[in-house]
Amino acid sequence: MQDVFGNALNFNMALLLPEIILAAVAVLVIVLDMFAKELKVRPVALPIVSVLGLVAAGVASGLAVDQHTDFGLLVTIDNFTAFFRITFIAVAIVLIVGSHEYIEKHVNHVAEFYALLLLSTVGAIFMASARDLLVAYLGIEVLSFSLYIAVSLAKNDTRSGEAGLKYVLLGGVASAMLLYGLSLLYGVAGSTQYGEIANALGKSTDDVRMPLLLGLTLIVAGLGFKVSAVPFHMWAPDAYEGAPMPVTAYLSATSKGATLALFLRWFGGPLLPAIADWQWMMAIIATLTMVVGNLVALQQTNVKRLLAYSSIAQGGFMLMAITAISDIATSALLVHLGGYIITNLALFVAIIHFYNRTGKEEITDFRGLSRTNPYLATVITAGLFSLAGMPLLAGFFTKFILFQAVVQGGFLWLVVVAVVGSTVSLFYYLQMIRQMYIFEPEGDATRWGISGTGYLTTGVLLGLIVFVGIQGAPLYTVADRAAFDLFPQGVAAPVTASTGAAPAAAPAAHK
Amino acid sequence: MIPLENFLVLSALLFGIGFYGVLARRSAILILISVEIMLAAVAINFIAFAAYRDPEGFSGLVFALFVIAVAAAEVGLALGIVLRLFREHRTANVDATDSLKW
Repeated sequence: MQDVFGNALNFNMALLLPEIILAAVAVLVIVLDMFAKELKVRPVALPIVSVLGLVAAGVASGLAVDQHTDFGLLVTIDNFTAFFRITFIAVAIVLIVGSHEYIEKHVNHVAEFYALLLLSTVGAIFMASARDLLVAYLGIEVLSFSLYIAVSLAKNDTRSGEAGLKYVLLGGVASAMLLYGLSLLYGVAGSTQYGEIANALGKSTDDVRMPLLLGLTLIVAGLGFKVSAVPFHMWAPDAYEGAPMPVTAYLSATSKGATLALFLRWFGGPLLPAIADWQWMMAIIATLTMVVGNLVALQQTNVKRLLAYSSIAQGGFMLMAITAISDIATSALLVHLGGYIITNLALFVAIIHFYNRTGKEEITDFRGLSRTNPYLATVITAGLFSLAGMPLLAGFFTKFILFQAVVQGGFLWLVVVAVVGSTVSLFYYLQMIRQMYIFEPEGDATRWGISGTGYLTTGVLLGLIVFVGIQGAPLYTVADRAAFDLFPQGVAAPVTASTGAAPAAAPAAHK
Repeated sequence: MIPLENFLVLSALLFGIGFYGVLARRSAILILISVEIMLAAVAINFIAFAAYRDPEGFSGLVFALFVIAVAAAEVGLALGIVLRLFREHRTANVDATDSLKW
């Protein structure tokens, strides 16, 4: 097939196999539910079919590793795409396996819920793989629309509809701002292709500086909303609190990860020539996000809200890497994102199982958990310590790599803010650990366990937290290969050489 | 030929009106209509830029079509959520949604 200019285009549908599988399975799940009586489908079949579809899509994405090709002029298939495909699919698998009891009990329209999780994964993947503004925009909307509905699907909880309304209204405004920015960018560059935008911006003169600056501001605001960066974060705590818990976990993992992937694709690609115009905005937003996220987290009493602000603050750390963008910063951001997603999922799955048993979600409700369920208390403690950046856990290694990359990018002052923020965050994480270990349980103090799938998911995630903390080199190698595809001309070799020794080199970097 | 600036001023005005509506209106329905006005401004921008800056290509026109289609989907989806809220609170006023606070 050829485009209007006669260039050969590759429209090989097999390149999009993972996304096609996910979308088809999403439809299959809905149809199975529709004819549940006729086909004698038991409720347990829905999560099983969803997980099987996800595994198939994961295998298909695994086979696409090290491919370097484009689907038409629309989608790039490279290691960066593969990294996010596998990450997002893994998140969905963990959440469905880890919280299917919760979903059956506390969510309206279970089949549609699973379908929405699968569809939002498709949207997230297209955000990471697009090479045209239109595809990226459609990816954003597929992800957001699925999440707008998923947020408002909690059963018997008036907060859920309220959270959904706030999310959809503010999300609509943010999308409109993003789109207006994109239209200005299109006007300046005359194309929606990433490559041609980069060329046009590289040659742009001063007479288009005003529309470009306005467009960039609106794009940063729109994307800042999606990644819940301060001052566009007001929806996040409400949506996190009102949503069903697996959706909260999904918002903090996939939604945030996909937006950061889009940040990397745009600000490391088409918008890189205009770096002087957006770098300062990103630095300001990153600072505000770290400071406000950590300070407001201090006064939270609801565990979902606490984790909402904690994930806002973590998003601030990651925006630092966008500010200091380079191949090194990109691979560091991917490492940190990987560690953050593993840690956050472990925490959320553990809290979901706590909620399954107790039906409570205030921080004080965790009193004496170390007596009634020491295993769950261990998982939560490891997760919180990892988020705070304690040595031997994933968070320390990934944060160290990230901070080091930002310092190398010339933003030492941002890292100083981040280190202070990390120290503050330790305080509110410890508050929760204190509830679990210092206080006696209130009322019923009998020991209780969680389901088999609960032990499986939390066990695997706990293992990964410790593994990445002690032996982070594999994650680093993977992230480095993904980042290398985003900056093919960059020199990534020196960083790879120091992978294994990175945690040990910690004191040296402080000189 | 009408200069490009005229289209841009029109779309900027529409975008401003829509944004003002989002901030000033308290009914969820009216906020949705304001968002639609903002998206209309975006569509005008894309079509104007497609005609003036990218005459051989048509990605701007395709983008405008997609913006219109997605905007319609968004309204349908948001109205569903407003309905859920209306059933629980008997109002579509966003000020009534105050159980979630920091």
